[in-house]
Amino acid sequence: MKLWDYLKDRLWFFFIAAVSLGLMLLFLTAFRVSGQLTATICVIFGFFLIAEETAGFLRKKRFYDDMQGKLDGLDKKYLIHEMLKKPSFLDGQILFDALCEANKSMCENVAEYKRTADDFREFIEMWVHEIKLPVASLQLMAHNHSDELGEKFQEQLRRIDGYTDQVLYYARSENAEKDYIIKETPLRRTVANVALKNRESAQLCGAFIETEGLDLSVMTDGKWLEFMLGQLMANSLKYTVEGREPVIRISAEELPDRVLLHFRDNGTGIPEADLPRIFDKSFTGENGRSYAKSTGMGLYIVRSLCERLGHSITASSVKGEYTEFTIAFAKNQFYKMI
Amino acid sequence: MSKIYIVEDDRSIREELAELLRNSGYEAECLMDFANSRAEVLSAKADLILMDINIPNLNGEQLLKEIRKETDTPVIMVTSRTFETDEVLSMSYGADDYITKPYNPTILLLRISAVLKRSAATASVQTYNGLQVNDAKGSLSDGGREMTLTKNEMIIFRFMLDRKGSIVTRDELMTALWDNDEFVNDNALTVNISRLRSKLAELGCEEAVETRKKQGYILR
Repeated sequence: MKLWDYLKDRLWFFFIAAVSLGLMLLFLTAFRVSGQLTATICVIFGFFLIAEETAGFLRKKRFYDDMQGKLDGLDKKYLIHEMLKKPSFLDGQILFDALCEANKSMCENVAEYKRTADDFREFIEMWVHEIKLPVASLQLMAHNHSDELGEKFQEQLRRIDGYTDQVLYYARSENAEKDYIIKETPLRRTVANVALKNRESAQLCGAFIETEGLDLSVMTDGKWLEFMLGQLMANSLKYTVEGREPVIRISAEELPDRVLLHFRDNGTGIPEADLPRIFDKSFTGENGRSYAKSTGMGLYIVRSLCERLGHSITASSVKGEYTEFTIAFAKNQFYKMI
Repeated sequence: MSKIYIVEDDRSIREELAELLRNSGYEAECLMDFANSRAEVLSAKADLILMDINIPNLNGEQLLKEIRKETDTPVIMVTSRTFETDEVLSMSYGADDYITKPYNPTILLLRISAVLKRSAATASVQTYNGLQVNDAKGSLSDGGREMTLTKNEMIIFRFMLDRKGSIVTRDELMTALWDNDEFVNDNALTVNISRLRSKLAELGCEEAVETRKKQGYILR
């Protein structure tokens, strides 16, 4: 709080003080009071004015400067009232109480939304597990009564399964609760599961899957990683170049402090202008518009999951040549020691 | 014939699963009385148990824990829950494998036969038409001559040998190969099968692998 601003704010008070001083001087002159007494009264009046204003200014300055300083330092600014001491002056006290009151009401409001969101997520989680039962059932039926239609049914059932998984992992990635476990996961097994799950679609477009150096383990949640790689593979199989044999190359390399998992295809690639935004929510870009319809959610979910697990994901691409995603897993020395 | 016990509360899945297993040459029995799941499972004396996690009363993980106190019958957990925690917990309670629903039926069958083979433990040297099948070396021999098969050829031969006399589809062979980290394509499968044929022919088994148009292959 600056002195000049404070004084400007108190302009009315000074105006009234000046008017009363003028009146007083007028009466003092009218009663023919001696010049010395008038001077004394003026000095006392002046002293009172300065003392009162200084005290008021300092009291408020201390409180508001403290508040502003703490506000700048806080990353959760709504917690400001927890950091303040109740001030000694009235308007400050009213403000302080109002802050507490407003905050309490906001907390209740937020809690209600959180509850609704949690309920919804729980329901989605449950619903996804329920919907998988009829899907599993249909898949068995399609297999048991396999004729020409069987394979077609299987294909559609796989699509349903893929979309429900997307919903499930979207709900998981948006939630603050910790519902994953990080443990040592062998990359070979995870990649094999993903490949196996996408075998039919890979064969449909005649894709080759090459692997290299996958005999490494990383610290991650296996199920989440499977989902992420599944999304990348689905994209690679979707955006292929006509007349070129699709090749997906999955390789891992070990660095001193982390393990890198490269996922590279020789598909259509991503235009340079789109590249920085591919992980954004609902971003479809040129490929999403000109090829098969896309939701723009897959890569967004992948990145959210990566962030939650503490991995980093980057993409590089040359249009018409290749796209490469790289996931970096941190190595944990602590776990290694155990 | 191996007997497989199905613990699954969804009626439709249970019936289809039983049919799938019977079609694949297993004996299948289902748990009906979930109130006495523990006693029922134990009295069934199955060779392998397929267990769902979300079942009434005791859930699958608890049931597994109870069963493990009495017997070490192989158990494969089959569930629609995709939590890594469930898998870790099941494995720590002594499950032999863990599969999430919905699953590819061929993969389920592969896992079942793998687990059964592991639990049989006796490294039985299988024979085919007088040929000795050596898994460890990946070779076939007729006493004198020995023919080495590649990993892919061995996987294909093993898969057909386990289903000797019945039709094996290309799709099933593909699944078996991919399940073993061999991500081959259609052409490669054709090449592998013809190589396997000629190797078998060299050992005196001409016409061992018969092609059924639009259906698959049969190992005679």
